[in-house]
Amino acid sequence: MTTTSKHLSVPHPDLRDWQRHALTILACAVTTLITTPLIGLLDLANIVMLFLLTVLLVSVTLGLKPALLAAFLSVGLFDFFFVPPRFTFVVNDGQYLVTFAVMLVVAIITGRLAGGLRRQADDSAAEERHARALSEMARELSGALTLEQVMEITRSFLHRLAHARGDILLYDKGGALLPNTATGSPTLTIEPRLATIAYEQGKPVECSLLVDSGYAALYLPLKAPMRVRGVIAVAPEENTPEALHAQRARLETMASLVAIAVERIHYVDVAQRTQVQMVSERLRSSILSAVSHDLRTPLTALVGLADSLVVSKPPLGDAARESAEAIREQAERLSGLVGNLLDMARLHAGDVTLHKEWQPVEEVIGSSIKLLGRALAEHPVRVTLADNLPLVEFDSVLIERVFCNLLENAAKYSPPGSAIEIGVITRSDLMEITVSDRGPGFLRVGDAALFDMFVRGETESAKPGVGLGLAICRAIIEAHDGSIAAANRPQGGASVSFTLPLGEPPVIEEEPLPGGEGDAS
Amino acid sequence: MSAANPANPMVLVVEDEKQIRRFVRTSLEEEGCRVFEAETSAQGLLEAGSRKPDLVMLDLGLPDGNGVDFIRDLRGWSDVPILVLSARSNEKDKIQALDAGADDYLTKPFGVGELQARARALLRRQSRGEEASPLFAFGEVTVDLSRRLVARNGEPVHLTPIEYRLLCVLLANTGKVLTQRHLLREVWGPSSVESYHYLRVYVGHLRQKLEIDPTQPRHIQTETGVGYRFQP
Repeated sequence: MTTTSKHLSVPHPDLRDWQRHALTILACAVTTLITTPLIGLLDLANIVMLFLLTVLLVSVTLGLKPALLAAFLSVGLFDFFFVPPRFTFVVNDGQYLVTFAVMLVVAIITGRLAGGLRRQADDSAAEERHARALSEMARELSGALTLEQVMEITRSFLHRLAHARGDILLYDKGGALLPNTATGSPTLTIEPRLATIAYEQGKPVECSLLVDSGYAALYLPLKAPMRVRGVIAVAPEENTPEALHAQRARLETMASLVAIAVERIHYVDVAQRTQVQMVSERLRSSILSAVSHDLRTPLTALVGLADSLVVSKPPLGDAARESAEAIREQAERLSGLVGNLLDMARLHAGDVTLHKEWQPVEEVIGSSIKLLGRALAEHPVRVTLADNLPLVEFDSVLIERVFCNLLENAAKYSPPGSAIEIGVITRSDLMEITVSDRGPGFLRVGDAALFDMFVRGETESAKPGVGLGLAICRAIIEAHDGSIAAANRPQGGASVSFTLPLGEPPVIEEEPLPGGEGDAS
Repeated sequence: MSAANPANPMVLVVEDEKQIRRFVRTSLEEEGCRVFEAETSAQGLLEAGSRKPDLVMLDLGLPDGNGVDFIRDLRGWSDVPILVLSARSNEKDKIQALDAGADDYLTKPFGVGELQARARALLRRQSRGEEASPLFAFGEVTVDLSRRLVARNGEPVHLTPIEYRLLCVLLANTGKVLTQRHLLREVWGPSSVESYHYLRVYVGHLRQKLEIDPTQPRHIQTETGVGYRFQP
């Protein structure tokens, strides 16, 4: 369809004006030559028709001006060669004036019509070229893997499609300009405030006054499906602000193509980063579990073998039994240390996955006390709970570690027989848990370094330990968005308090009133 | 399960570390058990098939594959009690093993006394078999399942239907670790296996009503990160 109309209206778009006029003259001459021998055979009225046809063809194929020329020439030639008296321009019969007038009018009307057609065809051809270029741009953008490629493709198509220069500015989620995005072309200066306005409002901003000074004059937001990703700043290649204005719709289409490409690259990045993170996490945890397995296996054998010596039959002598017991105890302590070190390594790696669940805190207090068992044999533990404690969300295994470490410390540093106290209260949006003993207390209270790795309350101490316990506690509590602090009690003894955020516990639906069935009364 | 002499139960130890096998063997032999060893899970399955043991002790970190698969395979044709040996901080492995059908676990490192006690408990359950009694007594509490009666120091205790169901499931699995998921399924039904907080709240209620010191429970014990265990 397009090709036909093109054929009709712009058959020889390359022809110069003089060539068109020469062709017109030629056409009229040929018509005259063809029709002259027919003068006896055809009526003059029909010969005029042939000239009219020529004018029509010329006007359709060569345009308005050649059409007018053809009209005048035809009138002249017809008058000269055919209208009696022949070979003069004198017209005897007045009615030929009508013929001349019709010819002129036909020439003008058809010339105009053909011109309009041609313009329309030109426009649609241009539209088609642009549409093809846009789809080409979309295709190239969809193949782009980096922002640099997007930038390059955008620049080249801005030049090809809109005769403009441009630059892309990207913003992060918080609305801050990302570096390295606006430094692409040294020829284009960008007015950052206009860009920010375009970004924040998500609407194009245009300031034609800037064109002359070499600034980008049009700032189009890159609206992607998720959010506005940035701004594309455009300046015309020649300092003609009108050109930009005329191209506005096309530029906006281009901006939306770029926005989609930028967002796609963003999500590809995110996916890749997640993948890398997952792989490295898997690697780390497999290394840790391999190390943990290799360290624990001999320790398990050591503890078990020493223990089987202690209880062996027939019984060992006292000295040998004591040695076996000592071996077992030391091996157990070593195992505890290895456990702490591995815990610390896990926590220090930064991304321990918390298995948080809503639960009553007293449950994990009870399980910690039971787990420590023998270590607390000489210290009764008193638990004081505030009434109606809400459920709290935490990782029970990790919080159990915290309790175990704190209780172990308390038992280690306080005189045998003295009680260890655990108190739980709620304070606005926090639950505060305090573990206190009746030992000598901390030497350096309020010193945050107490919770650092390998720092111990007593510098020269006969008490075993390497100072990992409190560091692990802090790492766990901080992973739960809580805080931990040490203090000395006024009546003597140390106390460590930590907090857990309360949050909004899930609702426990009341059980329907017991009615006979299952009522075990 | 096997026709073995109850006085000399047969124990299969599947563990790749020789020294651990050694002290496990001596500890169990002291208890009067006959012990067979396997180093790999493939060998373990063969031994289990041919010897028909009364108890299987399984290390979860075997060189030739996953201990959980071993349990599933074994459970395909045998009800023999399985005691899993596992490292601390591997709650996920423990839960998987228990859900696959293991009965209990021991955390490494463990002493001889602990090992013997667990083995004894599982063997006792095994030999008691079907002769279940509706009467239970622990601490200050007596339960008569046939008459739906729970009493503490002779005084009747009022339990809600859910509390009573929970207690029944715990009593029926005395000494066994029950995962949270398992308990939820048994007591609340299959649709609520994610509502762990319900379970915790109701366990708390039971402790309030039945334990002498609910904050340091002696009978309804917490296996942190895994589930609960009833210990008479």
